[in-house]
Amino acid sequence: MPRRYSTMDRSFTLDRREFVKAAGACSAVASGVVLGVPAFGDEAPKPAEVETNIADFLKVPKSKHSLPGPFPGRVVKVTDPRSLVGDKVDAKVVAEMFERGLRALTGVAPKQAFGMLFTRDDVIGLKVNPVGPPLINTRPELVDAVIRWLVDNQLPKGNIVIWDRFEPMLKDAGYTAERFPGVRIEALQTMDEEGNRWRDEKGNHISTANFDPDAFYFAKGVLGKGVRGYKDDEFYLNQHVFAGEYSYFGKLVTRRLTKIVNLAAYKNTGNGISMATKNLGFAAICNTGRLHAPLFFRVCTEVLAAPWVRDKLVLNVTDGLRAQYDGGPDKDEKFVYPNHSLYVATDPFALDMTCHRELVAKRKAMGVTVNEHPKFTDYLHYAEKLGLGIADPARITLVTA
Amino acid sequence: MRGLALLLCALAVAGAALAAGDAGLLPAPGAVPGWRPDGNARVFTGSGLYGHIDGGAEIFFEFGFEELTVQRYARGLDGVELELYRMRDPAAALGIYLGRCGRETPDPGLRERHTAGLHELMLVRERYFLIAANLDGKPEVAPQLVAFARAVAAALPAPQPVAALELLPRERRVAGSERLIRGPLALQSLITLGEGDVLQLGGRNTAAAAAYDAGEGHPACTLVVAEYPDDAGASRVLARLVEGLDPEVKPLRRGPDQLVFRDYAGKFGAASVAGRRLTLTLNLEREP
Repeated sequence: MPRRYSTMDRSFTLDRREFVKAAGACSAVASGVVLGVPAFGDEAPKPAEVETNIADFLKVPKSKHSLPGPFPGRVVKVTDPRSLVGDKVDAKVVAEMFERGLRALTGVAPKQAFGMLFTRDDVIGLKVNPVGPPLINTRPELVDAVIRWLVDNQLPKGNIVIWDRFEPMLKDAGYTAERFPGVRIEALQTMDEEGNRWRDEKGNHISTANFDPDAFYFAKGVLGKGVRGYKDDEFYLNQHVFAGEYSYFGKLVTRRLTKIVNLAAYKNTGNGISMATKNLGFAAICNTGRLHAPLFFRVCTEVLAAPWVRDKLVLNVTDGLRAQYDGGPDKDEKFVYPNHSLYVATDPFALDMTCHRELVAKRKAMGVTVNEHPKFTDYLHYAEKLGLGIADPARITLVTA
Repeated sequence: MRGLALLLCALAVAGAALAAGDAGLLPAPGAVPGWRPDGNARVFTGSGLYGHIDGGAEIFFEFGFEELTVQRYARGLDGVELELYRMRDPAAALGIYLGRCGRETPDPGLRERHTAGLHELMLVRERYFLIAANLDGKPEVAPQLVAFARAVAAALPAPQPVAALELLPRERRVAGSERLIRGPLALQSLITLGEGDVLQLGGRNTAAAAAYDAGEGHPACTLVVAEYPDDAGASRVLARLVEGLDPEVKPLRRGPDQLVFRDYAGKFGAASVAGRRLTLTLNLEREP
């Protein structure tokens, strides 16, 4: 009998106090977004401590391919000014950059690098960021380069899935069957902007079956129902499929993909960044609207700690051909600049720490007032404590190629 | 009976107008030569904005968002999208604009306050904020953004001054650094002094911020100025700020009207009250 989606309360052992302690942080849990505003003179409620099921994830033994992969703390930055001239991306140059990055990361030729990370019967998900086209999304030319590498190593094209959480965004960013023939293009869910065509005849969200009832991120007391900032619960359900304390992982991630390549964009989200860990943390699961206010950055660590991600995410390439230093996570042309770089790593936390520091330097150089409160990087140090990656800048090796 | 029919008819018209949002303010077919609407206008009311913005909607709510109308236009294979945000008041619209416009690069063909680029044009007028997007980034479409913006601006109410900006001293103010603040998100772009709405702005009261150059006897700094209904109100805000001070911020001196602190980046700052005005002085290299 198939398992049902749960609405029951559960509690686990790692609460926020322990999280902060584990992270070595002395401030509040990172919270990039606060929804709603109190009336004048009201005291804003302090964020509640939140229990999650991170301890369950940590109980699962690591596998050969678990994070941080074979190169913890190693980040390769490949720069080539020919990669982007004006608005034109040079696909050939991008492919060369990707290959240089792979070589510099692994120390071997692309063919051997493939064997290090994949087998020919893998089903590989390429997680792109389609938000903000054509300015700041993952470039299709980078995806072309990754596909070519995989196919050149005899991986069947049909074993490649370009994916994101939301269907309409993939299309807007150019991820279509016509553009990528033979490759599967899938979203975990639909989201109807008009809000009136998303239920099936039984009244369920038409994407319900795309999520795995056996695989979830649990956050006690953090409900999708009644989240401030949403018009109503119906509207929330349209966007998030479920509204309880459970954020289910997509079946694509838990059951079909055997490996994941994470192809993030390079941009800020307020004082933090929205790059490698955010690209997966908020896209592998549903029911994320509830998580923004209390757990924004923590999700970027804890969802990646789940075995369905931790044991499959073998390579991260952050597309920094263009970068955005302010105004994010939404696209904003005024802050977009040519960066001509790709960043390659097996360790997404070292990668994000490297890019965070680089982006802070850019913000300062551009005269932006930078808020350097440690809460904007606590989640990366937390990941290091959990053994998922390296966040201490002194232990990160940045290689330029 | 005829009266009832007229009433029903009027209600139907009103309903259609509501469904169309501010679509009536957007260019009709051919108003921008060669361009026609591509599909129907989409309207996002109140917190329905989440249905359109994936990341970044919260700041609109903090400032006071009412409605967004989105309309695409086509000319052959070219595409332009207009997003017309109706905010609660002119300060809300200007607050969003100032946070997004960066160094303004206006087009000489457009009189309204705006900034124009290849991909986007942003414009603010009265309580409206407009983004005109060149969907494919084609250079030949960029001048059309100006034409669209001009057409929209002509339909908007006359601009109104935003009083909060007058809170900021003019001398040594860095041009283009002005920001408006109505809650924790906007303040957080400058500093974290505690959890939640530490300035007690409540999404209604508007504070102003700007960077200041060093001058004779004056260090370079960032100022944030908020005004409250009375002296006691301003003092209460300072007291609560001190009480809930972020643990990463180290208080150095406290008095009834002032707190001097050192922030997590090693910079110095002060929060001080004079009358019904509270001023934050931030990013000082030396202790004030």
